[in-house]
Formats: sequence, C-alpha cells, structure tokens
Amino acid sequence: MATEVLWWIFAAAIVAFSAGTVFSRSVLHSAIFLIGSLAGVGAMYLFLTVEFLALVQFLIYGGAVTVLILLALMLTRSDARGTPDAVNGPQLPFALLVSGGLMAVLIGVAAGTDWRPGGVPDSPTNIGIETISERLFADFGAPFVIASALLLVALVGAIILARQEEGE
Amino acid sequence: MMLFADALFGLPNWIDAIIRVVLVILSMTLVVIYLTYGERKVVARFQQRLGPTETGPAGLIQGIADALKLVTKEDIRPKNADRWVFEFAPYATFIPVLMMLMALPFAEDWGVRDLALGMFYVFAILGLNIVGILMAGLGSGNKYALLGGIRAAAQMVSYEIPLVISLLCVAMITGAEKDMNGTGTLNLNAITAFQETRPYIVLQPLAFLIFFTAMLSELHRAPFDIPVAESEIVGGCFVEYSGIRWSMFQLTEYASMWGWSVFGSVVFLGGWAWPFGVDAHWSIQLGTTLVKSFLFIMLIFWVRTTVPRLRIDQLMSFCWKVLLPMSLVQMLMNGFILVYDWPQELLALTSALGAAALVAIIIRRAMRRPSRDLVGTYKTLGAPAQ
Repeated sequence: MATEVLWWIFAAAIVAFSAGTVFSRSVLHSAIFLIGSLAGVGAMYLFLTVEFLALVQFLIYGGAVTVLILLALMLTRSDARGTPDAVNGPQLPFALLVSGGLMAVLIGVAAGTDWRPGGVPDSPTNIGIETISERLFADFGAPFVIASALLLVALVGAIILARQEEGE
Repeated sequence: MMLFADALFGLPNWIDAIIRVVLVILSMTLVVIYLTYGERKVVARFQQRLGPTETGPAGLIQGIADALKLVTKEDIRPKNADRWVFEFAPYATFIPVLMMLMALPFAEDWGVRDLALGMFYVFAILGLNIVGILMAGLGSGNKYALLGGIRAAAQMVSYEIPLVISLLCVAMITGAEKDMNGTGTLNLNAITAFQETRPYIVLQPLAFLIFFTAMLSELHRAPFDIPVAESEIVGGCFVEYSGIRWSMFQLTEYASMWGWSVFGSVVFLGGWAWPFGVDAHWSIQLGTTLVKSFLFIMLIFWVRTTVPRLRIDQLMSFCWKVLLPMSLVQMLMNGFILVYDWPQELLALTSALGAAALVAIIIRRAMRRPSRDLVGTYKTLGAPAQ
C-alpha cells in the first residue's frame, strides 16, 4: 500500500520534471529539470528491486551526463544565467525526425508488452552483483573491451581536437 | 534492503526508518556545530593563537551562538540571480550528503539501512553533489560565482576518478574474501567485519593515500580549496549567499567532511571492528568509529594549516599525471596478486612500495624550481612575456 502511494508520487514527479524539461524557456532550467526526471527514473528502478541499475542510473545520468551538460552550458554561453533563449534553429527538422522516431519506438514497445502480472517471462529481481559481473566480464568480455577501446579513441580524439599547440 | 537490526521497539519498518533518520540528522547537526568550534580551536593552536574563548567556558558554545546568528540574518537574493536555481542550490548540495549518511554503519547494529551495495551507493550518490555547486555557480548571476562553479566542477569531476579507483582496489579485496554466504560483497557492514584482524590500510596504503588526497579535493579543503578561495575569487560559488542559505552550505561542507571521514574509517581503518573485534559491546564499537572519524578530520585540519593552496593547473596535472596512474598501478597489482592467490603480505608490500613512490613524487614535484615562464592557460594563449 505504502509502496503504491510512493510509486504514484514518484511517477507524478517524473512527469512533472519531464514536462519542465520540455517546456522551460531556458536551457539551464531544462538541464536541471532533466536531472530530477532521471533521478525519478532511478527511484523507479528501486521499486522494481533492481538496486544496481538504480545506482548506475544515479551515477551515470544524474552525476555524469547532466553535469557534462551543465558544464558545457557554463563554458559555451556568454550569459550563463537562466535567461530565455531561442531553441528553434535550423536543426528543427532533424530534431523532429529523431524525436518522432523515438516516440514511435517507445509507443511500439509499450503497446507490445503484456502488462499483466507474470506476463513477462523473466522479470528482473534483485540480482547479485557477482552475477552481473560474471555476465559483463566473462560472457560479454569482448564487446566490453571493444567498447572501452572505442571510448579511449574518442577521448584521445577529443583531446587532439580541443588542444591547440603553439604555432598552429 | 536489509535492516541493521530488528526494528526499534518492534515498531513498523517505516516508523523505525523515520526514527533512525531523525537520530542521524540530530547527531549530524551536533557534530557539525562542534566541528566548526573544533576547527577554529585546532587551527588556532597550529597558528599559535587562542581561538574562541569568550562564549561559554573555553568558548564551548561559540558554535551554537554562530548558528543562531546565521539563522537570524537576512536572506539576501541578488536582483539578477536566477531565482529558483539560486534558492534550491543549497538543498541540492545537502541532499546527497544526507543520503550518504543513511548508509553508513556507525556500529554493528547502528545506522539507518544496511545496503547490500553500500560502497557503490556512497559514490553513486556523491556524484550528484556537483549539481548543487553548479547550480549555485550558474544561478547567482555573478562572475566570481560562475568562475568558482566552473573550477569546482572541473576539480570534482577529475578527482572522482582516482577516488573511485582507489575504492575499487578495496572492493577487489573484499570480493576475494568470502563472507558467510561464500561471496564477495560491497556491503559496508561486511567490509568492516572483514577487517577484524587487520584494517585495509595495512594492505592498501597507496589506495589510502590516493583516497585521502582525492577526498580533500572533493571536500574543497585546503590545499585543494581553489573553488572557494577567499583571496582569489572571494568565496567562489557561495559569494552571493547569506543568512540561512549560506549556513546550509556550511552545514553541508562540515556534514560531508564528517560523512567522508566515517566512510574512510569504515573502508580503510576497520570501522567498528578493529581493534576490539566484532563481538565488542556496541558502545565500544560506536566509540571506535567516532574516534577514527575524528582522527580523520584532525588530519584534514592538519593538512589545511600546513600545505599552501595549489594553483589550478598544478591541481589538474597532479590529478591526471600522478594520482590517476598511481591508482591504476595499484589496481593492476591487486589484480595480479588476487587472481593468482598470492599471499596477502605481497599486497601490503607492493602497495607500501607504491605509497613510498607516490610520496617521493609529491616531494620531488614540490621541490621543483618554479618556472620563470608563463604557465598553464597563459602559456597556451601566448600572453605577452613580462
């Protein structure tokens, strides 16, 4: 009972924060609302008793991605305060395409899922961290290494692009 | 989620949780008030002064008087500040610290909740800490605050990496030790119990040094207090805050210092289990944890009064060129030793050698002659030579 009440509170909070992200007039406010929305999704994972996923959500999305967005805002905008700015630029058709496609995928998945209890064959429960690491480092070891090599290449590339040596 | 013990007085779970949270918050407030007093006394001692003496016997109620003064002061909001961002920033910094305190084991049965992924929880939650500082920096509508916010974010993001890797080194060892269920663990209570015979600082002195240094940086304590440096950027992101919101930031700073110290003493110094064993009375266990955490804080004050503040480029190069490689070396060494099941003495030996190397590197860097040329960004930008 108490869990259900809490679930509804968090669900409402996610919707409110997401609406704030989309409708707020300043990019800074959007970024802050996004943190709230992502943290709410993390709390949802807790209700599903997948603690590890919830913590990863907090760490990656709450702590890393949004901080990156805020940092980028800080470094690139001359006026870093929450003044409204136009977000409709020449990228509008591409943004429409991407968001439309994403919405179609999400609706498709949601409509195709059997939501009755027991409808999903192996619903996630509290999986031990040892099991997760077995899967990640033993069963999917090669993709993991390839992904980290890709990230390393991206990192080095970013440094080369950003760094201007003297005399160039 | 596990409970630490049976619910207090057999109450329902959620009432028990609320009671425990309130107890932790009350003791946190008390600790913070006396930490400010303690810091002033200790720093005064280091600087051959007296510190507070007038308010109460030996100045003992100075902290309470300061708190009352701060709460009754006017709460000023600058006209061109971004209202909601500015006003919520103190709460956004405080919530992660509070959530961290909820997972710490102060004694075997003492704490709010005993999480299975306790160690991971602590550093996942503390990643959110930066958000509040960034909000304060961006929302104040002040150039100094913005500068402080950028510095804080750059510093905290960088130092989080060696910090997490040094904790991973300990997690590797706890993963190799088997608890009652025959599996490794990230549970802070179990990690403490593993250290009954020897604390992990014996096995991992290098990881401890890296942890302590990165912790100082995450806390913005000297010598890493660049984001809040009074003499350079007049207090950084806190420059526009006053009254109750400023005291929220102070509360957060001292509470997180205490939280980090308890966490560090649990992970590296054996928490409540060493040296009195897991069967000691709860009061002894609680006392052990508190004494260890206050030793930690004493060390922080000591470093603050001894080491001068670093420059921002020194700070960054120290993190990326010294701390990060050293922490990776520690992780590699642990990996080899644990995979091949070599004796634990080897862990202690290699890590001690690494720690000696780290200290040698730090001393060598500190002894280096200052360069006469321009440094860091000024050099890259090609500013005219003086």
